[in-house]
Amino acid sequence: MEQARAGEYDEFVAARWSGLFHLARLLTGGDRHRAEDLLQESLVKLWFVWPKIADEAPEAYVRKVLARAAARSARRRWWGERPVEELPEVAAAGDISAAVAERSRLEAALALLTPRQRAAVVLRYYQDLPDRQVAEVLGCPVGTVRSHAARGVARLRELLADAIEPVG
Amino acid sequence: MDHFERQLTRLMHDDREPAAFGPGQRDRLRAGVRARRRVRAARRAAGSALAVAGLGLGLFLWPHSGTPDEPGAPHPRPATGPSTGTTPAPTLSPSSPPTATVSGPSSTGTTAPGETPSATGGRTDSPSPPSSATATATPDAGGGHSASQGTSGHSTTTTSPPSAPASGSATPSEGASAAGSTGTAGQTGSDG
Repeated sequence: MEQARAGEYDEFVAARWSGLFHLARLLTGGDRHRAEDLLQESLVKLWFVWPKIADEAPEAYVRKVLARAAARSARRRWWGERPVEELPEVAAAGDISAAVAERSRLEAALALLTPRQRAAVVLRYYQDLPDRQVAEVLGCPVGTVRSHAARGVARLRELLADAIEPVG
Repeated sequence: MDHFERQLTRLMHDDREPAAFGPGQRDRLRAGVRARRRVRAARRAAGSALAVAGLGLGLFLWPHSGTPDEPGAPHPRPATGPSTGTTPAPTLSPSSPPTATVSGPSSTGTTAPGETPSATGGRTDSPSPPSSATATATPDAGGGHSASQGTSGHSTTTTSPPSAPASGSATPSEGASAAGSTGTAGQTGSDG
């Protein structure tokens, strides 16, 4: 029984790891270490409820835990992160490792949003969830989700104006 | 959804880089599951210990809190005997006025201070019975001693003292013996 449960769980995690990790990375603004920590924490929680929700929607459960944990961990003081207009560490020219570690432009822009705005934007535009489901995942009213998403998109529009070419 | 939002959606999907679920992640996940299991077990044990401690404390405090609330708890009484003429002094105050008034008509007033306490001292009844006893005793006019010991209702034991005043000089010892005898009689009557 335990072996079968562990086998199903491993299959699910192996199949969904990449997508969930990308979601976690977007929710954390491109921080890979935090994203991996959050995903591990969410999957550990999934392990203990796996017999209940294995036949229902385990990915939705992980998504909810991930989004809420990302918003919660971003409010913790000991992260010591503060959004800035410019990246404090500029990669040196020709430094391949720094170039590899550099976050993408989109992730840097997402890091400048508030956790709630970032979660609303990511869930709406990456997960393609309607506002009602985003509100359910984040545990807040639909109007609040719309407000967060609108402000987040407006902020991203300013930050990514030159990266996304205008129409025409 | 305008052009920027469509481009934003495309960027989010294109930015995805492949990440394999390797043995490192698997081991780390297993370690996380074990650590969380230990935390849950420790939390459950701590909760059980707290519950047991609280229950034990409640059971420990339960009988102590109930004892003072009992209104009719029997008080320990001093043992009364023939030589208890001086011991019951602390309990004299409720019953001393009736005995003082009763000892007057006996014409042997010297016996009252030393002896009547022994008769009524052993008793710790409420003050109301002695007052009724004095009311019934005063018409006898010769039953001073019977009045003093009439609180127990044993009038048969106290009827003999009316003959004592007739002897006159024997009143101190007679009163003492009568008081002592009636005191023990009253005590046994109340106890029984």
